[in-house]
Amino acid sequence: MKKRVIVIGGGIAGMQTALRLAEQGVEPVLIEKEPELGGKLRGWHVLFPSFTPAQEVLTELRRRVNDSGIECRMSAEVCSVSPREVVLSGGERLACDAVVLASGFTLFDASIKEEYGYGIYDNVVTSADLERMFNEGRVAKADGSAPRRIAFLHCVGSRDEKVCQQHCSKVCCVTGVKQAIEMKRLFPESDVFNFYMDIRMFGPGYEEMYREAQQTYNIHFVRGRISEASPTLEGRVQIKAEDTLTGRPLRMSVDMLVLLIGMRANDDNEQLARGAGLERARSGFMKPRDLFLGNVCSNIGGIFYAGTISAPKNIGESLNEATAAADAAARYVMQ
Amino acid sequence: MTFYAPFCLPFILGAALMFIIVAWKWILWLLRLPRSDKRLILRGLFTHRTLGAAWEVVRESLLHRRIFRVNPLLGYMHMSLAFGWFLLIVMGWIETISYVGFRWVPLQGHVFFKYFATSLPHKPFFDFAMDLLLLFVLSGVALAWGKRLYSRAMGMRRTTKHVLGDRIALSALWFIFPARLVAESTTCALYGGGGFLTGSIGGWMGAHIGVLPLMNLETVAWWFYSSCLGLFFVALPFSRYMHIFTEIPLIFLRHYRLRSTEKHSSYDHFQIEACSRCGICIDPCQLQSVLGINDVQSVYFLRDRRYGMLTRPVADNCLMCGRCEEKCPVGIDLNTLRLNSRDRMRNVPDERRYTYLRGVDRSSGEGKVGYFAGCMTLLTPRTLSAMSTIFEAAGEEVWWADREGGVCCGRPLKLSGETDSARKMMRYNTELFRKHGITTLVTSCPICLKVFREDYDLPGIEVLHHSEYILRLIRAGRLSPTHGTTRYTYHDPCELGRGSGIYDEPRAVIEAVGELLEPASTRENALCCGSSVANLAISDGQQLQIARSVAAEMEATGAEVIVTACPLCKKAIGRGTRRPVVDLSEIVAASLK
Repeated sequence: MKKRVIVIGGGIAGMQTALRLAEQGVEPVLIEKEPELGGKLRGWHVLFPSFTPAQEVLTELRRRVNDSGIECRMSAEVCSVSPREVVLSGGERLACDAVVLASGFTLFDASIKEEYGYGIYDNVVTSADLERMFNEGRVAKADGSAPRRIAFLHCVGSRDEKVCQQHCSKVCCVTGVKQAIEMKRLFPESDVFNFYMDIRMFGPGYEEMYREAQQTYNIHFVRGRISEASPTLEGRVQIKAEDTLTGRPLRMSVDMLVLLIGMRANDDNEQLARGAGLERARSGFMKPRDLFLGNVCSNIGGIFYAGTISAPKNIGESLNEATAAADAAARYVMQ
Repeated sequence: MTFYAPFCLPFILGAALMFIIVAWKWILWLLRLPRSDKRLILRGLFTHRTLGAAWEVVRESLLHRRIFRVNPLLGYMHMSLAFGWFLLIVMGWIETISYVGFRWVPLQGHVFFKYFATSLPHKPFFDFAMDLLLLFVLSGVALAWGKRLYSRAMGMRRTTKHVLGDRIALSALWFIFPARLVAESTTCALYGGGGFLTGSIGGWMGAHIGVLPLMNLETVAWWFYSSCLGLFFVALPFSRYMHIFTEIPLIFLRHYRLRSTEKHSSYDHFQIEACSRCGICIDPCQLQSVLGINDVQSVYFLRDRRYGMLTRPVADNCLMCGRCEEKCPVGIDLNTLRLNSRDRMRNVPDERRYTYLRGVDRSSGEGKVGYFAGCMTLLTPRTLSAMSTIFEAAGEEVWWADREGGVCCGRPLKLSGETDSARKMMRYNTELFRKHGITTLVTSCPICLKVFREDYDLPGIEVLHHSEYILRLIRAGRLSPTHGTTRYTYHDPCELGRGSGIYDEPRAVIEAVGELLEPASTRENALCCGSSVANLAISDGQQLQIARSVAAEMEATGAEVIVTACPLCKKAIGRGTRRPVVDLSEIVAASLK
């Protein structure tokens, strides 16, 4: 009789965990609340820093999951977990020998930052909206015309005490640079501005891409957050900011304002944590048992973490962590 | 008949010292009043205001009517001590007169009359009346002891932490009346007489204690009684009990329309020393109830300021929500006093910082009605677009003062103590409003509203909060919102409710659109959202804690939507709940067809 490990979340981290578990001779069960696998990556166009289409990664992972015959429960929501049992919201109880939580993150709702006018004025979009536009092949202003001046605003819902999100979402900086380059490629005549607090280029090739954005694409980087945005009579967006490097207030009209929204902890983390006695960090993300020697383990034996359930991460990190979590879970159930 | 015995000495000295110090304080404070205040006193002195003040002294300084409203038992405790003692003194005077006729009797003769009157025939009426009054006061003392043990019985969760001087005075006060009871009873034991209280105890003592010990006890008891009085009187001007002699002139001055302002004045002394440190201001304070901050409440602020120990952390840590002011039994203008302390501690205007004010005018549109969004409304643009919809639906021509950006109304700076800088902004905006010839000024921010009404000089311009303006439009038939089935609850913003007295208009507007459910704390008792611009001390996390507690109360009403009428409150409460939090104008705009 094979040991059974339930993996909650069918995004890239969940899929990779399940694949690795199967490799180790454990029987994984993948639970996904959406009707298809893929998670957040389904909405993405190309990946930084290589501009690899997201579909390439996604298709390959899905193919592997399919080929290995892993049991997948689609459109199933989890309401509580324990090391030996997972309860679905329909009341169904699934027995298991260990659980890997890979349920990821939630995108910050930009309309909470009402001062930026998201959902109120035209031509204020989020980074996720922009990816969807790229995928649909139709990037334009609300009236259908091409934008001539585009502003990206970093750290929307990240490092912002005012919306209770003190953590850094880590990947939005490089996303902003990537999307700015894509916009510049689409609209070579346009002016593209990035408003930032700090630019954090932590991964391989990121810093190079940032430099390229400035040198090759002539994208402007302004150090200062936008304080407010308002509509103009011509249907543009007027933004107010402070250029903190020159110490001057700045006011400019743009055709499109892109808000680089951050990652926040899922709302149901609280319920899962309470039911299973798991510890959460102040940010709401799950807290690993140990940041160095136990970063895929929870404080409860038999429950493991993979991917952005425990903190914002990029795709490569999530995939690596998934492998590590699967190995830890396999070791646990074999004992 | 002589009215002197050696034991009277502590009393005489204490009383004399007290009268000298109190008189000195009164004279000094009155002399230092600004000329305009003195003129107000002279103008009011021989008018009905004096009578009104006298009546209020009876109601508040003696009967403590306002404390009865907080809690009847607490009110009784304060009344029995103040009014009871007062009646004891008055009855004592009448008693002396009835015994010895209209002749001069020194003060100690009245106070210790029982001791001196042993040779006179007894008048049972006075024995009875004086005992009854003594019992009245003693019941108050007993309650005060009880309050130390269990204050909740009197509706107080927390009581004041007292300083040493107050403790000395308090102990002396607590002993005065039991000491009087023992002293008079021993005298009755030796010489007979006395009413149902002193007479009965005296009779029992006479039957059980020998004459010689009784005589010794009598001397000790009268000495102790006199010493307690003396000690209390000496401590009085330096302790919380100074309020007894400060509240009375304060009431008169208030009736003569003297007021504290954003700058210090001598009148502030009357307010500060009128605080009895009763501690009623502690419980309403959300910094205390939600955050557990225990040393910044008005009672401690006034104490620190009175003794010259006020620090910035105490002066700055206040939401200025006015919840304590609403409950203060003395009616002290707590917010203004805190404001002028901040003014003295922080007012350092930087001239260069305001050069940009010259010549800026980004206003747009034309009309007799001006709309001032204010900084916070510009940060909550849903309100702004809702107002735009409403103006259009009503066919109003509007002059937009600051839609493209403008100058702050000045109130946040004023609240932080930078009053002179605030004045620069007020002057700028005043000129702007006058220049554009508007007759009505509408704002959707209660913070702006309060400063426009109180500090701006805008003759010929009516200042309205958007809740008042929208209600007018509805009543005049210029707006016809459709009544839906949504259930709303309403949060009273501090600056709009307690600050400007506007409670009914927003409610009437909500009822025109849907159903209104009231939260547990409402109107004058409404909670503060926690993000007040007046507080420079608490952290963002602490603001959030308060917001969550407020949101929980709003959610408990079962309403689907939380409505408020202040952009700052909207942002603050929105952080504490997952339910929609909207401005009044948004629900009106959404209900227009």
